[in-house]
Amino acid sequence: MKKFANHLPHSVTLVGIFVVALIGFFSFSYDKDFQAAITIAAANGYVSWGIVHHAIHKDLYLETVVEYLVYAALGVVIVLSTIFRS
Amino acid sequence: MSVVVFALVIFQAVVQFGGSSYSKVLGYAANISPDEVVRLTNEKRAEAGLSPVVYNATLAQGAVAKGNDMFNKDYWAHAAPDGTQPWAFFVSAGYRYKYAGENLARDFSDAGSAVNAWMASPSHRENMLSPKYKEIGIGVVDGNLAGVDTTIIVQFFGTKIADTLPVQPVAAAETTNEKPTPSAIPTVIGSVETPAPKYSSISPMDLTKIVSLAVVLVLLVVLVVDYAIITRKNLKRIGGRPFAHIAFLGMITVILLVAKAGKII
Repeated sequence: MKKFANHLPHSVTLVGIFVVALIGFFSFSYDKDFQAAITIAAANGYVSWGIVHHAIHKDLYLETVVEYLVYAALGVVIVLSTIFRS
Repeated sequence: MSVVVFALVIFQAVVQFGGSSYSKVLGYAANISPDEVVRLTNEKRAEAGLSPVVYNATLAQGAVAKGNDMFNKDYWAHAAPDGTQPWAFFVSAGYRYKYAGENLARDFSDAGSAVNAWMASPSHRENMLSPKYKEIGIGVVDGNLAGVDTTIIVQFFGTKIADTLPVQPVAAAETTNEKPTPSAIPTVIGSVETPAPKYSSISPMDLTKIVSLAVVLVLLVVLVVDYAIITRKNLKRIGGRPFAHIAFLGMITVILLVAKAGKII
């Protein structure tokens, strides 16, 4: 519980990034290109968050960065292939 | 994880490029009624306190011609690659306009989704709710665009020059039937046949969504179980925060659940 409390400010920031991204995604439902840009921005924010978070906690390793990058790539591939799929 | 990403990319390529080869499985033709598009458009106009636009068969001919032109020349834009503007289709159909407007939609499975998408876009909404327009013509055309089987909806709005000139007794008599009525129910002049879909099966988008959702949900379950085990056994390891991954995949899941097919311009 204490561990979770230590991460709380960072977690709120991350969830904030995703909530803003979701609001933007729905608000611009008529503009697929803008939706794609929002998705890529959210994925970038997620990777950046991961790097900063782990750097602050002094447990940033190359493997960790790659892990965030792969998840981000998965998310971008899934969303872009869905919104641009006819 | 990298394997999952790679497998998804391969799957997308198969759906994209294999779709036309196996169009009976992956091809998709929607069953959209032009009458329904007109009805929903007038419903939105009525909600905005505007008079309904009246269906015009000549305008609809122009809209169908525009849709066919897009398939024949393989483009998805208001202006053709050779520079032909949308207004050329109004004129060639024999509609002499004072005001003209065009909304385009593709890949929608029903009329309501297309109309809602137009209403969500400020520029398309402006066309839908413009008091300048008195008539409407809808073209719903099935075909293959850039290797993808799809249905295009062409929505033409117009007002004839004759309708904006000072009213002459004879002209007024000729155009009486074409003037919009104050009723919320549109007056339909002429009729249009609803094109029967050539085939209708699972759309490529639905297939993509199902596969993507399955992958994301499996990963979410794995992450939650992994997080529970690590927390219970108090294990230390190098890696990202499961909470961050779960939150990210949660966002992707929400997007997948609400993402809708269809593009408008």
